[in-house]
Amino acid sequence: MSNATVMIVDDALFMRNILGAILREKGYTVVAEAASGIETMKKLHDCTPDIIFLDIILPDANGIELLDSIRKVKPQAKVILCSAIGQEAIVRKGLDLGARFYVQKPFSPEKIAEALESLGE
Amino acid sequence: MDMSQYRDLFVSESKGHIQVFNELIVRLEDNAADAAAVDELFRHAHSLKGMAATMQYQAVADLAHCMEDLLSRVRSGELGFTPAVADILLEGSDVLAAMVAVIEAADSRLPDAADLVKRLAGFNPAESAPSPQPAGGPDTEPGSGDREQAGPTTDHKPHHTDSFRSVRVKTETLDRLVNITGELITTRYRLADRALRCEGAQLEEPLNRLSMLLRELRDEVFQARMLPFSFVADRFPRLVRDLSRKQGKEILFQVEGKEIELDRGTLEEISEPLVHILRNAVDHGMEMPEERLAAGKSGPGTIRIAVSRDKDCVNIVVSDDGRGMDPLRLAARAVEKGLLSREQASALTRHEAFMLICAPGFSTAETVSDISGRGVGMDAVRTAVHGLGGGLVIESEAGRGSRFLLRLPISVSIIHALLVECGPLTVAFPVNAVKRTIELRDGDIFGEREQAFFSLDDRQVPLRSLNRLLGQSSVPDPGALTPAVIIEAGGVVTGLAADRLLGQREIFVKPLGIPLCRIKGVTGGAITGDGRIVYVMDASALL
Repeated sequence: MSNATVMIVDDALFMRNILGAILREKGYTVVAEAASGIETMKKLHDCTPDIIFLDIILPDANGIELLDSIRKVKPQAKVILCSAIGQEAIVRKGLDLGARFYVQKPFSPEKIAEALESLGE
Repeated sequence: MDMSQYRDLFVSESKGHIQVFNELIVRLEDNAADAAAVDELFRHAHSLKGMAATMQYQAVADLAHCMEDLLSRVRSGELGFTPAVADILLEGSDVLAAMVAVIEAADSRLPDAADLVKRLAGFNPAESAPSPQPAGGPDTEPGSGDREQAGPTTDHKPHHTDSFRSVRVKTETLDRLVNITGELITTRYRLADRALRCEGAQLEEPLNRLSMLLRELRDEVFQARMLPFSFVADRFPRLVRDLSRKQGKEILFQVEGKEIELDRGTLEEISEPLVHILRNAVDHGMEMPEERLAAGKSGPGTIRIAVSRDKDCVNIVVSDDGRGMDPLRLAARAVEKGLLSREQASALTRHEAFMLICAPGFSTAETVSDISGRGVGMDAVRTAVHGLGGGLVIESEAGRGSRFLLRLPISVSIIHALLVECGPLTVAFPVNAVKRTIELRDGDIFGEREQAFFSLDDRQVPLRSLNRLLGQSSVPDPGALTPAVIIEAGGVVTGLAADRLLGQREIFVKPLGIPLCRIKGVTGGAITGDGRIVYVMDASALL
């Protein structure tokens, strides 16, 4: 069990709910959710999550640019990219830019556990 | 992990994606160079794929994946956004919608999409049907493959994105809230009625405060039930596109005022009637391209829906610049069909002649097509509009086009009504439907044959007895004034003489059960503060 705080960024409520359920089961506290790049940056004004799950395709922003902005305002937050098959190039770029790990959709409790372990959680 | 609890959310979000997907395709057909729209299409296919894979709906995920692949070929500039691409993507979204419907119904047999998946994967523009726009034509910008690096696209925000400030509420909950609010308002009137009778009880101040709070509550509850017109209109572009392509007609379709809000119940009731009017417009209103050319009209035809707010009402205007309707021909047709006598037909005003298309069994289509023109539709449209307490006005000019105005109250269940006493009955007319009231002296009323008239603004207006229309006896008091409610029904201004006008009141209208709901002209019932039962009338159905 962990008591770390998490933020989930994904434009699909469905995905946020599932990921949130998996994380809560593991004892994490979801302190914020966002559905867009703008919402993410707005919410990061008010909270400082330990971990951010970031979907790399969003309606108003490209995930890599958003990652860059997140790193500037919250350098201590550990970012885990969420991607789909076929987006390896973007994922690699994201890892170069400081993302700590990535999870390929569809989400499963095992994959999430693996990602969290990689952070030393 | 038990995924079944996420099924409803999956279904509702998927529907949202598919809806927006369809709209974007139709938009891209108008402007194939809209790169941001291609990006957005890609994203919707992508989201659907991810969601479906999570839910382990493999067939949905595979199909969405192939559509995403095809879109990435468009995005890279390898393919132009040709009609063939639009067709196969729309086919894909139809199958996706069918799959989601099966999932929603908790059925495990998803439709087979193997053939479509194969065609999507091996899509070759050269093999597809010849199209007016060459594949990869001038609309495709070179270098559009770099779009992955493009900046944020701000003008394509999907409208279904949920924010944390909102929650989903079942519509039944909202219906119950309206019901309770209505009962509260009725109770307040009853309380006020009692307070009047016990003097010195100092209830005025708290009653006024209660009224104010109830008004606020009513407004909030109603606001919660409001949805933008786009909720029903978003599927129209696709509908018009499919119908016009099927018939080889060229039509530009525009919707204005999509953001204007109406009560969810009203939207639900009005959706099919609007589809019918649109079908008629494409099927009968709009000419074939060669006919338009011959008539000196250049370019494609236009069908427009314009929504606007006017006080407590919303006006929805559906107009086209097609062949229009000829009132004389409509009247002749009605005589032919035995709906009117020759005399009646020649006495029709222009407006009344157009309203004939709403008569049951009336159809002017020379051929009955599979799309519309069976003569049942406009009748249903009028019934639906009147059922909502609204009005329908049809205008047309032969050779120039037609215009259908639907005037609807913003909300239905709590209305301002004029209460009228009529023998032992109290009836209510929605204030929206009343033009004005008047009190007539005996000398103001003059007769011609069986019909009584009076003068209003220098016009002769027929006067009917509401008592007689409702089957009540009336005891005229000689020398007294006759109160009358002036209404407009089907384009004709008429006065309805009653025993007494009781004034305006806010009433909570409830639907009537069987058999009362079958009475012509009665649309609902309500209870007033003093416990009186009133019947809500649709004057136009009464006459």
